[in-house]
Amino acid sequence: MTAVHKIVWLLFRSWMRDKSSLFFGFALPIMFLLVFGTIFGGPAPPNYSLYIRNLDTDPQGNPEPLAAAFIQALNSSQVFDLKLLNPDDPAPRSTGFAAIRILTIPKGFSASLLNNTIANRIDITVDTINRLLQMAGENLPEATRANITQGLSQMNTFKQLFKTEKKPLTLEGSPDDRLLQPIEAIINTVADRFELALLNSTSTIEINTVQTNIRQLRAVDYYLPGYVAAFIMTNGLIGVSSFTAEMRRKGVMKLIAATPLSRASWIVSLVLMQTIVSLILTAVMIAVGWMVFRIAAVPDLFSLLIILLGTLAFTGLGSFIGGVVKSAEAVTALGNTLSFPMMFLSGAFWPLELMPPFMQQIARFTPLYYFHVALRESLIAGSVSTALIPAAVVAILAMAGIILAAYTTKWRDF
Amino acid sequence: MVDEAVAAEELVKKYGDVTAVDGVSFKVYVGEVFSLLGPNGAGKTTTVEILECLRTPTSGEAYIKGLSVKNLGDIRKIKQIIGVLPQEFNAVDNLTVLENVQLAAVAKQADNIRDVLEQLGLWQIRNKLFSKLSGGQKRRVGIAMALVGNPEIVFLDEPTTGLDPEARRETWLYIKNLRKSGATVILTTHYMEEAERLSDRVAVMVKGRIAVEGRVRELVASHGGKTRLVFDFLDEDAVGVLRGYGYVVERVQGGRVVVKVDRESDVFDVVALLRDRGFEAYPEVRQPGLEDVFLSVIGSRLSETGELV
Ligand SMILES: Nc1ncnc2c1ncn2[C@@H]1O[C@H](COP(=O)(O)OP(=O)(O)OP(=O)(O)O)[C@@H](O)[C@H]1O
Ligand SMILES: [Mg+2]
Repeated sequence: MTAVHKIVWLLFRSWMRDKSSLFFGFALPIMFLLVFGTIFGGPAPPNYSLYIRNLDTDPQGNPEPLAAAFIQALNSSQVFDLKLLNPDDPAPRSTGFAAIRILTIPKGFSASLLNNTIANRIDITVDTINRLLQMAGENLPEATRANITQGLSQMNTFKQLFKTEKKPLTLEGSPDDRLLQPIEAIINTVADRFELALLNSTSTIEINTVQTNIRQLRAVDYYLPGYVAAFIMTNGLIGVSSFTAEMRRKGVMKLIAATPLSRASWIVSLVLMQTIVSLILTAVMIAVGWMVFRIAAVPDLFSLLIILLGTLAFTGLGSFIGGVVKSAEAVTALGNTLSFPMMFLSGAFWPLELMPPFMQQIARFTPLYYFHVALRESLIAGSVSTALIPAAVVAILAMAGIILAAYTTKWRDF
Repeated sequence: MVDEAVAAEELVKKYGDVTAVDGVSFKVYVGEVFSLLGPNGAGKTTTVEILECLRTPTSGEAYIKGLSVKNLGDIRKIKQIIGVLPQEFNAVDNLTVLENVQLAAVAKQADNIRDVLEQLGLWQIRNKLFSKLSGGQKRRVGIAMALVGNPEIVFLDEPTTGLDPEARRETWLYIKNLRKSGATVILTTHYMEEAERLSDRVAVMVKGRIAVEGRVRELVASHGGKTRLVFDFLDEDAVGVLRGYGYVVERVQGGRVVVKVDRESDVFDVVALLRDRGFEAYPEVRQPGLEDVFLSVIGSRLSETGELV
């Protein structure tokens, strides 16, 4: 066994001195985590962008009081990223993917709102008194009743003075904007509350939002195990395969095979060396995840086992490719051809739910799929039960990998 | 009786339709340097790889110190006493000289790393990366990796191919030292000069067969032909004089004249005879060598690159 640990150490040193393996093994996954974790997983929830064009201004151009207050109410909902447009500004044009939505507040919005609110108040008052009259019934003297009825009809006449045309808000947006309807609903809610406040009333239904431990993955939670799995795969498929081919081409395999060292010791050394690389990659990614995104992913024994199994599977496959394919160029080409599509098809790089259904089916045929799912369930969600089946698939792949490696790492008749 | 280090008996190796080794037998004795000399594709590598237990022969037997290369138990013992420099060997680029030799030493459970590095003049540059070495240094690292663990029998497959003349000469020195240290060396080459200078015995191998085998001197004596005097120009009268004294005289292309003599002392007789008769005589004297053996046995020459021409 001492031979194995010295060989592991030598192989590891050679690996650490290779610039391209350092780049693909460490630098690239860290960059991916930082870039995509930041782009898709910013700590604040996204604000919906909304342009407001207020046409309800006084002759000096200042917004009328209720229009100003309504804009204020929209702003304090904290749902919108509001931008104000001047009445004669052209509609902004979209650059990139940001959706353009414009809410127009019509001329006379304030006045109409004010008048209609007074009319509503009168309605409410009349309605309330009518109900009281009904409840009082026979107990009320006839004269009093007539008096009140008289007053009510005067109020109705009075109300007609205030009744004015409604001035509706206009929400413009693209037919492709899937958020337009939810945004309309949010504006409706804000408007309703605004009206209630004008009526000096409050809503009787309230919502208490409490934070419980309902599971919700953030983008980084998704990416971290995805990248760890994907780069353990490339280390195996591209790194191990080209290393194996290189050792064969240079005659190092022949020189070693002519010594008493057993074939098993060599394979074990290679696998152990790759396991160290995988563990360092995992540790570095977890450290970066914690420092930058505060993900607290502490690998337990089960996660470590999954990492070991994944490493076995892809190291085995890599040394199979390196052992079977003759030319060095073909080895690299095959490693790349297997790795890159698998990265994108397996869902390691973005959630499968974002892909069309048939692509989701394809993902289930890639070995990487089971590896990253098992690792995510175990490392991030801490859920052994949901990790069990994908982990079992990875275990089978690991066994297949080891058999392939053992079969193609030749110690004679190369 | 001298101990046998290696014995090959009617070895045959076929790759599909190609018969790479076609009934090869030879013996190598302890302490000698034995060369397999032959053109590209002659089957040299295949032959030594059978002896190194890296290839299974199609038929025939081979023994290393009496241990069979076809017996699994014996193979383990054989691997403990051999050292191998594969053809076109290159060590690991991203490891230093020392680390590469350590890799071989670990595999052989050897501990004489420092001795070997000093013996091959590599101790001073032990911490240099392999990729940064010159061609000659790289080859010496390979030899060091073969020699670490003090193997009794060392296989060197084309140890100087691809080296410049200076590095080649330097490598020859190390191989000669190796012989002095008492190791048995089996080397393959397509360089006449290399085989001639380094080996005790040579086997000339062509098309999977050994054409001729023996001590270099004996081969030259029996197949190399006579000592020759080559004249760039010689008067027709002078040719007549020599023929009159019974010498074998040939005109070859370019007007040159070749006189074959049996003994070296005859060289002086020929020159003296011509000068006495007033002819100018400045011949070039050619001793027969392996090249002549090769030419007379195989019927063609070996080029620098190992092709038959
Ligand atoms: N693994 C193999 N599969 C098929 N044919 C092979 C294999 N190895 C060698 N050969 C063929 O066997 C023959 C002998 O090859 P070998 O390498 O033993 O010759 P060699 O004398 O070492 O030549 P060189 O000077 O080029 O190294 C060649 O025709 C070669 O093409
Ligand atoms: Mg060869």
